[in-house]
Amino acid sequence: MDSQAFLRELELTLELPVDSLQGNEQLADIPEWDSLAVISFIALVDEKLGLAVDGEALANALTVGDLLALAQEPLAA
Amino acid sequence: MTPAVNPMDLTGRRVLVTGASSGIGRAAARKLAGLGATVIASARDPVRLAATVESLAGSGHESVGFDLSAIDAIAPFVQKLASERGALAGIAHCAGIQIGKPVRVTDQAFMDQMFRINVESGLALARGFRQRGVAAPGASLVLLSSVSALVGQAGNVVYCASKGAVLAATRALAVELLRDSIRVNAVLPALVETEMSERFRATMTEAQWQAYLARYPMGIGQPEDVANAVAFLLSDASRWINGIGLVIDGGVLAG
Repeated sequence: MDSQAFLRELELTLELPVDSLQGNEQLADIPEWDSLAVISFIALVDEKLGLAVDGEALANALTVGDLLALAQEPLAA
Repeated sequence: MTPAVNPMDLTGRRVLVTGASSGIGRAAARKLAGLGATVIASARDPVRLAATVESLAGSGHESVGFDLSAIDAIAPFVQKLASERGALAGIAHCAGIQIGKPVRVTDQAFMDQMFRINVESGLALARGFRQRGVAAPGASLVLLSSVSALVGQAGNVVYCASKGAVLAATRALAVELLRDSIRVNAVLPALVETEMSERFRATMTEAQWQAYLARYPMGIGQPEDVANAVAFLLSDASRWINGIGLVIDGGVLAG
């Protein structure tokens, strides 16, 4: 799965319109990014990539790009 | 003087333990073997399963690889075990999965997977256990529910529903299998330190983890704490206990 495909998955997870995320958005500006969205994101990364998201890194994430970076290693550019 | 008798002694009992390669299942296999049972350890992962069997006290134990997601293959699997090795005195069904998801991102595939492994496999094991010649005298089936059956958890709704279903199935099976002389009970653990819970913990910050731990007046549990209850419910020490859900939570629900 590449970065664009992951952004599309993230849009589905956050119930956002298709192609609405570019990666540079501030999470604080996305009302859908709430505590349940965090759980959804953790499940998404686990399900699609087989990875456990690091809690400290997730708490420090400020942008959608930071979320992508959390799953960066197995993602193609 | 009368020699001391261990009321939980399982000497000579053949017991099937599912999910025996890790966590609560592995601890249950060790506890049951320690009480004298002959353990048939089952799981999907043959390497870790072999390690479990090697760690068991006593002799005669064996590992049997089996994928519980093949629901209709479970009853024949149990029948084959009994016909080849002898009747089973107990089944400790410890296999299960937990994946936290809010309902907003759940779909049929996710729900089906959770219910297949957590609910349907136990029902199929019960079906297999009651077949002619499978259950030995004093037979007991122990299913793994969870305190999630009793307390709602945001972001964990399908798992909670599946464990609630296990508890309801336990009661109904206890009544239905009475005529087959099989007792059916469930254990309801809160968070226990296993590979599964380590994965859960890794997704939290230290502050979040500490806040979570604050709900546990006696700390989180160890797999052995649940294994002890499983052994009790499989043994004759619990022979007049049927259809219960035994909460093992270090007092979490009490307060």
